[in-house]
Amino acid sequence: MLPGTGADVAGGATGPSDLGAVGTPGIAGPTGMGVDVWWMRLGRYGLGQWRSLLLILGCIVLTVAMDVLRPWPLKLIIDNVLEGEALPAPAGWLESLPGGASRPGLLAWLTLGTIVLFLVGWLGKMVQQYLQVGAGARMVYALSADVFRHLQRMSLRFHGRQPTGDLVKRVTSDTGCVRELVVEAGLPLVTSLVTLASMLGVMWNLDAALAMIALGVAPLLGVCIWFFAGPMNGRSYAYYACQGVAMARAEQTLTALPLVRAFAQEDREQRRLDGAWRDSDSAYLRLTSSQLQFKVGTGTVSALGTAAVLAFGGFRVLSGDLTVGGLVVVLSYVASLYAPLETLAYLSTNLASAAAGAKRVFEVFDRAPEVTERPGARVWAGAARHGMGAGHIRFEGVTFGYEPGRPVLRDLDLEGRPGETIALVGASGAGKSTVLALIPRLYDPWEGHIALDGVDLRELTLASLRRQISTVLQDPFLLPLSVAENIAYARPAASRDEVVRAAVAAQADEFIRQLPQGYDTVIGERGATLSGGQRQRLAIARALLKDAPVLILDEPTSALDGETESVLLEGMYRLMEGRTTILIAHRWSTVRRATRVCVLEGGRICEGGTHDELLARSGVYRRLSALQCEGGAT
Amino acid sequence: MSVAAYRSLAPYAFRQWRRLLTIGVLTLLSSLAVALQPWPMKVLVDYALSGIPVPDAVGGALARFGIEVGPVVLIVGAGAASLGIFALNSLLDVGLTWSWAVAGQRMVRELAGDVFGRLQRRSFRYHQQQPVGDSLDRLTSDTWCVYQMTDGLLISPAQQLIMLGALGVVAWQLNAELAVYSLLTAPLMAWATVKFGNPLKRRARLAREARARLVSFVHQTLSSIPVVQAFATEHRNWDRFHALAADSVAVSQRGALVTSHYTLVTGLIAVSGTALIVYVGGRQVLAGALTIGGFMVFLAYLRTLQGAAEGLIKLYGALKPVEASIDRVLEVLRSGEDEVVERTGAIARVASAAGPRGAIRFEQVTFGYVPGRPAVESVTFEVRPGETVALVGATGAGKSTLASLVARFYDPWSGRITLDGHDLRDVRLAELRAQIALVFQESFLLPLSVAENIAYGRPEATREEVVAVARAANADEFIRRLPEGYDTVLGERGATLSGGERQRIAIARAMLKDAAVLILDEPTSALDGWSEAPILEAVEVLRAGRTTLIIAHRHSTVRQADRVLVLEQGRVVEEGTPAQLLARGGTYARSMGLQESRSQLPAEVAA
Repeated sequence: MLPGTGADVAGGATGPSDLGAVGTPGIAGPTGMGVDVWWMRLGRYGLGQWRSLLLILGCIVLTVAMDVLRPWPLKLIIDNVLEGEALPAPAGWLESLPGGASRPGLLAWLTLGTIVLFLVGWLGKMVQQYLQVGAGARMVYALSADVFRHLQRMSLRFHGRQPTGDLVKRVTSDTGCVRELVVEAGLPLVTSLVTLASMLGVMWNLDAALAMIALGVAPLLGVCIWFFAGPMNGRSYAYYACQGVAMARAEQTLTALPLVRAFAQEDREQRRLDGAWRDSDSAYLRLTSSQLQFKVGTGTVSALGTAAVLAFGGFRVLSGDLTVGGLVVVLSYVASLYAPLETLAYLSTNLASAAAGAKRVFEVFDRAPEVTERPGARVWAGAARHGMGAGHIRFEGVTFGYEPGRPVLRDLDLEGRPGETIALVGASGAGKSTVLALIPRLYDPWEGHIALDGVDLRELTLASLRRQISTVLQDPFLLPLSVAENIAYARPAASRDEVVRAAVAAQADEFIRQLPQGYDTVIGERGATLSGGQRQRLAIARALLKDAPVLILDEPTSALDGETESVLLEGMYRLMEGRTTILIAHRWSTVRRATRVCVLEGGRICEGGTHDELLARSGVYRRLSALQCEGGAT
Repeated sequence: MSVAAYRSLAPYAFRQWRRLLTIGVLTLLSSLAVALQPWPMKVLVDYALSGIPVPDAVGGALARFGIEVGPVVLIVGAGAASLGIFALNSLLDVGLTWSWAVAGQRMVRELAGDVFGRLQRRSFRYHQQQPVGDSLDRLTSDTWCVYQMTDGLLISPAQQLIMLGALGVVAWQLNAELAVYSLLTAPLMAWATVKFGNPLKRRARLAREARARLVSFVHQTLSSIPVVQAFATEHRNWDRFHALAADSVAVSQRGALVTSHYTLVTGLIAVSGTALIVYVGGRQVLAGALTIGGFMVFLAYLRTLQGAAEGLIKLYGALKPVEASIDRVLEVLRSGEDEVVERTGAIARVASAAGPRGAIRFEQVTFGYVPGRPAVESVTFEVRPGETVALVGATGAGKSTLASLVARFYDPWSGRITLDGHDLRDVRLAELRAQIALVFQESFLLPLSVAENIAYGRPEATREEVVAVARAANADEFIRRLPEGYDTVLGERGATLSGGERQRIAIARAMLKDAAVLILDEPTSALDGWSEAPILEAVEVLRAGRTTLIIAHRHSTVRQADRVLVLEQGRVVEEGTPAQLLARGGTYARSMGLQESRSQLPAEVAA
């Protein structure tokens, strides 16, 4: 059993996932950070890319300038070429170009101007795009790296309850929210504001009254945004939540596939997933419907503005205050003016989806890891360097449990002196795995303390503490890496020689050499292409190579037949040599080898002593032994 | 990308034909509305401002309604018309968006449903080689390819073509010379697209792969958290994450560069086209062959036409990234070689009411997972109804393989296996598996309530039945102690129960199924001696009256068997009752002898 999630979580609550049903929105982090400041927190990741962002701003200014200039060649063509009016003073230089004085020549030059404007604009956009893709991806990965690091620190209890698929989604796709915020919402916002300001400025100079009309529509648009954005926000979160549920459900089925197949429940699983998908589909349609309402609402306002400018501008031309070309420029601005305004409006869609992602990201981010490193924690280089016997473990008055008010261990004392082997025996739920989980500080005790070589575990850095401890769990947890990389998991720098030596000592070398690519064979997911005994031997080799003074070991009982088991035990005993070993024993042979045996009952050590001492005394142990003689007589 | 790949996904799209038809009709209407869009402007410029007289037909019609045509009426009319055209346009747009959202969503669902179905049926071997995270990715995001594909091959091209056709006709009517010039750019654009299309596809694939590596790494790390923490590799994982992320950034940036080359060429072609029209059109106005309003209408049409042409041609590139997804989806949909397929006309019912059931025969069965490397070779044996046969042998000897062959998780390479005289391949899979109850090493509890887990094989079972089997499996007592008893929902992978408790629920589940054949794949191997006894007791109850195949290595379990088969390197090397085999002093006796020297801790007194 893996510590903390397995056999010894006495009566651990079997409630739903730690984060509540994935569909439950609105769980603010325990730090009190409300969702209202999510964008500031994300903003910090965005600002990490400030160099790129500055360059992007430069590009934006360039492209906006080109956009503003775009209708001007056409205006000059209409007014000065087609209507034959004199060129305005700022464009007077055009006449000095070769052939610029004739109307066809001017027409040719102005046409060429449109191409030049395009090229300059394209250059700006290209650089901007290149920078944006890079900056966006980098900020996303900065955020996901932090979430990932955080999740790695979360307790096993948290991971035991949280579907892995859901967590993966939070790390890899929900973190896109920072890009949505900065690149897909923030930069368009800046672009829109700059565009709006410059176009309004130009219009103001052309015809102030007409500019006022165009501007007058903005507040109306604001109302539209305010009115329609709310539901859109909620529905977008609901949609993401539904997708998460469906994904988790699919993952459950795929991980339990042997069961599904053996019970011929494929159709039922399919229906179950269909149910989740139906929810997600209707959530999607609800989202689409609110997006459409939004679009029509803002579109109507924008159409009203265009019609007003068209009519009013017509009268201005009629009265001679504006040229036809001027009206064309204003209308083309009005068309491009509403585009940035609509971008501003859709901004809240992007923001809503960014907020939904951010909420899911911070939901896990704001859960404090149960075990944290104290500021100023010491790096423990091992007791030998400190002039003591290495690997001295001591539990003093330790009380601990997984649920408040339901302690699994009560006031437990335990000592493992350097080189000793302490065997823990006891019924399921007695707290054996919990004792093991406390040593590498996967959890902190509620009361009492645990010391390594006389130093409280909480005063050490986690990395240096865990360097002192080798672990062999019942589930070997091999990674989809090569055999050699798995063995060298704790020390990637280990030479091939060292790896092979560890494998030989763990009785694994022989079968590894029979694998298709020997030590370089990549192990399938969850190490599925090896037998249980082979996987365990790799886990033992891995622990051997780590070579730590303390060994915690949940004696493997798994999947082994007689012959393999004796080979495995040999490896295991070799691993125990010269180390302080705390183990959960499943075999009398192991118990007999132990320096001391501790019988756990009800979260305490009810009896302790050597095997023989315990046998001599009456107690649980003796009762168990008596049963063994009866049952074992074959 | 072969046409065949698209063709195999096409049915998903065409099943939504009603909605697709609606979309077509709406598209036609909306392109007419688009054609109307620049006309208010022409009315304004030509008739209201330049003083060109309104055509008689229009003027006469208005006069009949008592409206005198003057600049004011024309200006107000133009404003009102632009509003009306907008209303029409947005109405059509809502209809289009909605129909497509519904249709697209449905086709994705159907495809995903089939992908999931296939994933459930693919061999265990496939799943061992395919990380779950990757399969999930194919299921949840790659399946959108049918939506993108339909959009790229059908919806968008139809929309653009209809738009091109409608506007092209109107433009031809207005000014044939300008209409011809405006079509000149199309072949150039097509050339650019073909030229830049392939690098785009490769980039998209690279970007996807880089991302998949990252996602897979995250998944792998998060599912091995106990080792990660115990070995304190958090920092290293973090570094690896950064390396993978940096890789992914670089790939997508290079992709962005390729994309912008593409936009340069197509944009340049488009803008040159416009410049050409402006010049030619301008000359025509100067020559008096065109009004300024007509010139502006034409420019507006040109923009729309170019938009449509560009959209049409860009589809070629837009589909490239989708092809990667299509490949990944089709990979799942394609059937694997080692997959079990139900024969048409397979027998739906094996069991006859009369007589004992559950006779299993292996006849010269050879099978392996890797071609040329058989895991079991020429195995022949028989299990009579009600008999218990133990399979023993070293790890890798082929015990589990034999068990999976009985449940037909794989088909033998040669030889045959029969259940009650029927070749397994002649029986419907559901029927076959209804005859077999399996208890695995791993309990595989689902995040459902305890009762639902027990009733997994028979969801319609009553609560009484569930409780009865739970009691028989020694599970009732601890279930009642759970917060909500039988309605307690189990955490992921049943993590909040102990191994022994989980396995007892698994046994109750197998009992409720009430099958003729029982296969136990080392049900207690993951448990310590303390938890074994209640399980073995439960197994005793479960075994009664069933043909049982038990994979075991503990003598305590094996000696209860009627017969023992000893496997070595895929062959049956010894066979007999436990006592016979012990007496014979062969492989079995040797391995059991080893075991006795390290006898088990006894189980806690079964409470």
